[in-house]
Amino acid sequence: MRGAASSQARRMAGAKRERSPRHQHRLNGRQFVCAALLGLLLVGVLLAHVWLRLQVVKTGYVLATASKLQARLEQENRELQIELATLTSPDRLESLARRRLGLVPPEKGQVIILP
Amino acid sequence: MRRSSQRNLRRLTAAKILFAVIFLAVGGRAIQLQLWEGERLMRLGQRQHLKEWIVLPKRGAVFDRSGDPLALSMESQSVYARPHRIQDATRLTRTLGQILNLPVAEVKQKIASEKPFVWLKRQVSSAEAEKIQALNMDGIGMFYEPNRYYPQGQLAGQLIGFVGRDSEGLEGLELKYNDYIRGEAGSSIAERDALGRRVLVQGIEGLRIPPGSDIHLTLDTSIQYIAEKELEASVVKYHAKAGVAIVVEPFTGEVLALANYPSFNPNNYAKQLPEQRRNRAITDSFEPGSTFKTILAAASLEEGVVGKDDLFYCEMGKYPYAGKVIHDTHPYGWLPFSKILQVSSNIGFTKVAEKVKKDRYHRYIEKFGFGQLTGIDLPGEVPGLVRKPESWSAIDLATHAFGQGISTTPLQLIMAYAAIANGGFLMRPYVTRRVLAPNGEVVLENQPHVVRRVISEKTAKLLASMLQDVTNEGGTGVMANVEGFEVAGKTGTAQKADAVHGGYAAKKRVGSFVGFVPANNPRLVALVLIDEPEVNVYGGIVAAPVFRNIAQGALRRLAVAPDKASPLPVAGSEAEKLNRRPVKRTNPSTAADSDGMPDFVGLSLREALEKAQTLKVKLRIQGTGYVVKQSRAPGNGSNDAEVVLLNLQG
Repeated sequence: MRGAASSQARRMAGAKRERSPRHQHRLNGRQFVCAALLGLLLVGVLLAHVWLRLQVVKTGYVLATASKLQARLEQENRELQIELATLTSPDRLESLARRRLGLVPPEKGQVIILP
Repeated sequence: MRRSSQRNLRRLTAAKILFAVIFLAVGGRAIQLQLWEGERLMRLGQRQHLKEWIVLPKRGAVFDRSGDPLALSMESQSVYARPHRIQDATRLTRTLGQILNLPVAEVKQKIASEKPFVWLKRQVSSAEAEKIQALNMDGIGMFYEPNRYYPQGQLAGQLIGFVGRDSEGLEGLELKYNDYIRGEAGSSIAERDALGRRVLVQGIEGLRIPPGSDIHLTLDTSIQYIAEKELEASVVKYHAKAGVAIVVEPFTGEVLALANYPSFNPNNYAKQLPEQRRNRAITDSFEPGSTFKTILAAASLEEGVVGKDDLFYCEMGKYPYAGKVIHDTHPYGWLPFSKILQVSSNIGFTKVAEKVKKDRYHRYIEKFGFGQLTGIDLPGEVPGLVRKPESWSAIDLATHAFGQGISTTPLQLIMAYAAIANGGFLMRPYVTRRVLAPNGEVVLENQPHVVRRVISEKTAKLLASMLQDVTNEGGTGVMANVEGFEVAGKTGTAQKADAVHGGYAAKKRVGSFVGFVPANNPRLVALVLIDEPEVNVYGGIVAAPVFRNIAQGALRRLAVAPDKASPLPVAGSEAEKLNRRPVKRTNPSTAADSDGMPDFVGLSLREALEKAQTLKVKLRIQGTGYVVKQSRAPGNGSNDAEVVLLNLQG
């Protein structure tokens, strides 16, 4: 009886022993998934960081090109302003008006003031 | 079984220790790199991938009153060489010579230099710069350098001034407003890649260094041009040494033009003489001569000492006074005060001065602003010389009466006349309307500023009407008359002090004319001063016509309608032919028109206006081209009753 009881207890313990690694394995699996997810997340964050960093550098290049272009266009604009001002200086305009178009200052009576 | 597991355990421990050692080693190295050597290494790294980019200051521009640029800044590139880095010197010399348009020998000499750095060409054109860039040769490079351009050349050169190589204003407005227009130099740190290209990973905020403020002047480029051109013509014609012409708006004190001859082109300031740079209108003082009689006239009228029609005996041209003899150009007998001013009698004015007395006269001289700075926003102004009445000798009252023994700048004189023109207020002259920051904010604004009231409006009006006689028949300034306008002004022919021998130089004169137009409602005051003319010395001859031409052009520019109706051109005259398009008359006017309302249909605007003027019909115009409809039918009743509306098309 005692032997039976002890053998049952041993069996039960055996069953417990048999169940416990299975139980442990299930827990490990969940942990693994968690760890894997965490790992993936970490890798994802790192990749995102790298991607963002790359984007920053890429944008930096774009900005540098754009700023260079802006500087060039501004320079060109200033050059054109100077050219325009030189070409429309009263001195030049007068000589052109006189020579090419044959214009003269209005004479007496050529200016009529409207009523 | 147990033995193998024990071995495993040992291996595991060994691995653990190994990893721990490796980890410690790596960790230790990391700590060493980060904590002990971190700063030094960071500096080393930054030196490689960070670069400081210098941003040169951008100088603001100068614009005239209508926004035309008078001074602009641009960065241009300068080419340099580092001779010891150049390899194929012979081929490079030839290429550089071609691109930069330099003699090959010169390039060769520069490249053969022992110096580590030589300039090949400063401030090259953008086309040249591009070609140099394309060359991409070791030892040849370019720097940006700011450069100042004055697109109108010599126009208002002395007024604008110039800047030196280091972008600092050295003269004129460039100097006066240097702090506003200079702009700040700056630098920004940006990363660069392996090829040295800039990568703006920190954005562009650091690059945004605001340029200097822009200056907007009261100057009108067109009037300035006319003034310079006319002044030059007269100085050349009369073989004079120099000349000044100023145009001022009398009610505000705004300077519309300020011309000096000899002219100065700030684009190559270094090659020009110092006397070309001088803005004589404010830095030189002259004995004004007869133009100063107006000041005495103002004092005597304001004090009620003399009336317009009071008679004075002009001693037939010779008047012994204080041990000297005062002369007139022409002998006169009895003359009313207004006539004395008209013919500019020295003797007459000496007698007026005797009545006004020196203290009172001196008070008016000071009230008109002589002997003090006008306060114009230009550097280098001098106050002229006005002596205290206590130090006047007996003859000084007479000489001051006709503007000798006292010295004024041309600007002081024109501002005194402006006070007469505007009804008695001495204004502070100014050339800068406002200074605008790059964001459009007004940094500085000059407003018209009344210094003081000098004379009453009544005196000013009376004096203006007397000054009109000067330019009318019988006056000394007839040649200043502008067609269609009443001109008020005064001529002056002053003797010049002899700096070497003392006293006055025998032949040196200053001819001048100051006046305003239209006399009754002045729009501008102008002064013309010709220094040491040789062919003819009289202000009425050398300066008055210059005044006329400047005033004529300026009034046209300011769109001032003539106050005297000018006769219309006769049909078929030369001017007509130039200006008129052939007109197809659908309904030619007939003599029958004169009976009543004329027929305007089919006429051009010019013809309709001519006809209306001859027949004294008042018109109102709508549209342009040819008359298609008139509000009252032709031949219908009298023509002076009401205004006729003309519709034009075409």
